Amino acid sequence: MQNVSLEVQNHLTILGANGSGKSTLAKAICGLVPYEGEIKLNARNVEELSLKEKAKTISYIPAKLEIYDNFIRVEEFVLLGRFPYKKSFFDYSKEDKNIVEETLEFLKISHLKERSVSSLSSGEQQLTLIAQALAQRSRIIIFDEPTANLDPSNSKTIAQRIKGLKERCQIVLITHDLHLACYVDSPILFIKEKTGRYYEREFFEDATLHELYGVEFSSLAVKYD
Amino acid sequence: MIKFFVWVFFLGVLVISPFMGAVNLDVASIFDADSLTSTIFFDLRVPRVLFAFFAGSVLALSGLLFQTLFRNALMTPYTLGVSSGAVLGAGIAIKLGLGTLFFGIGAVSLFGFLGAVFTVFLLIYLSQFLRSAQHESLLLLGIALSLFYSATLMIVFYLGSAMQNDMLIRFTMGSLSVIGWRDPILLGFIALMVFGSVYAYRFELQLLSVSEDQATLKGVNAPRVTLGLLIASSLGIGVLVSVSGPIGFVGLIVPHVVAKIYPTTLSGRILKTALFGGFFLVLCDTVSRALQTQSELPIGIVTALIGGPFFIYLIITKAHK
Repeated sequence: MQNVSLEVQNHLTILGANGSGKSTLAKAICGLVPYEGEIKLNARNVEELSLKEKAKTISYIPAKLEIYDNFIRVEEFVLLGRFPYKKSFFDYSKEDKNIVEETLEFLKISHLKERSVSSLSSGEQQLTLIAQALAQRSRIIIFDEPTANLDPSNSKTIAQRIKGLKERCQIVLITHDLHLACYVDSPILFIKEKTGRYYEREFFEDATLHELYGVEFSSLAVKYD
Repeated sequence: MIKFFVWVFFLGVLVISPFMGAVNLDVASIFDADSLTSTIFFDLRVPRVLFAFFAGSVLALSGLLFQTLFRNALMTPYTLGVSSGAVLGAGIAIKLGLGTLFFGIGAVSLFGFLGAVFTVFLLIYLSQFLRSAQHESLLLLGIALSLFYSATLMIVFYLGSAMQNDMLIRFTMGSLSVIGWRDPILLGFIALMVFGSVYAYRFELQLLSVSEDQATLKGVNAPRVTLGLLIASSLGIGVLVSVSGPIGFVGLIVPHVVAKIYPTTLSGRILKTALFGGFFLVLCDTVSRALQTQSELPIGIVTALIGGPFFIYLIITKAHK
């Protein structure tokens, strides 16, 4: 991906074909992949921020949870989101644990807290990841294809949660799921052949989608409401 | 309840262990300072049991650490060729006929130590050329290194005299025979250092056991923590192997068994893994001394006899998942 320059003030949804560089862009913002140029968060160059400061500003939710620890429970996993606030070498504080409780309640998954994360369904795992990002209390949350592994019913739950978060955080949503993009209703950035094109609204013209994906579309039905 | 009995059993073994061996000790004369029994008990048996305990702890903790950092149950210092590196180093020292170098440290120990540490740095260097997710390839690198070391060791054998080769074979079998208190005390400090560094970074390790990217995103300096902990544990393994020779499979078996008994998250298992590892090796050593063969069975053989089948079991169950 080259010659990209964008300034994001508010929510943003990024659409694009496979291999167009959506995820790479997100990972570059988080500092996970090398890049040339400059990325600024709140007018500060990300490279000047310490890893913990960055974690307090931005969190990234992957499409799929890969986890080696088979025993970690949901509440312990969500607690990991408090790591940037924790004093080095010391245990998590009572306040951290309270924030985890609140977050689990907010997402209506308190009943899962004793379960091990690896035993959850994909939809529940996605909710757990969201809980962790919320516990991290970062202003920006990047979702990387949150519904890629989910069935329509779980997709609906996740879509509603993401939309509900728009009041609390700045949401950057990367997705192939046009229903989700439509429902979340943020401005859209199309990425095609490694360059971007920005649409404020009314993006779901079939012609635009045809140009992007090279597939004929007839108007989409959105039923997440 | 079963857990409780496991620990009681282990404690029992720890107490009985110093009384087992080629010479049956008369309990009454242990505290008679001038008797041979007392010398055997306090200068050979007790140091040996302590040495075995610390050795088991270091091996088990290093296994847990490697498995967590590389997110793979088959990753241990032994399977990655670190022990083979130590054996080759020791072999070269024996072949060159080097004796005591300085501060009373034998050349065999020093070369064994350098071989282990060199291997870890080589692995860390080579792993930069792998893509970060390809930890399976790291295992293959370790196996390739082990094979290469074995071949090089064959050259040392080929060139060696019968006496040198006998020494070398003894070393490769692994032995917990220590005389006096120097080695157990040294290894005690090492075990404490390895435990301390793993425990101090338990929260970072917890995050690294999810994924390296996720750890970075939560503010963990993943490369630095990984490198620091690998170096700490390699120093421990290096010191251990330089004295005892390679003792395989403890690092593979113990973390796995502890996780089966205590299905908790990582930070809850660190101390238990260290203790279990220590008790396990004391048990193996006690068995090898109690067998009353012509001379005692080398400990490396005992652990390998248990560990080999266990390794196969792990690979098969892993393939099933």
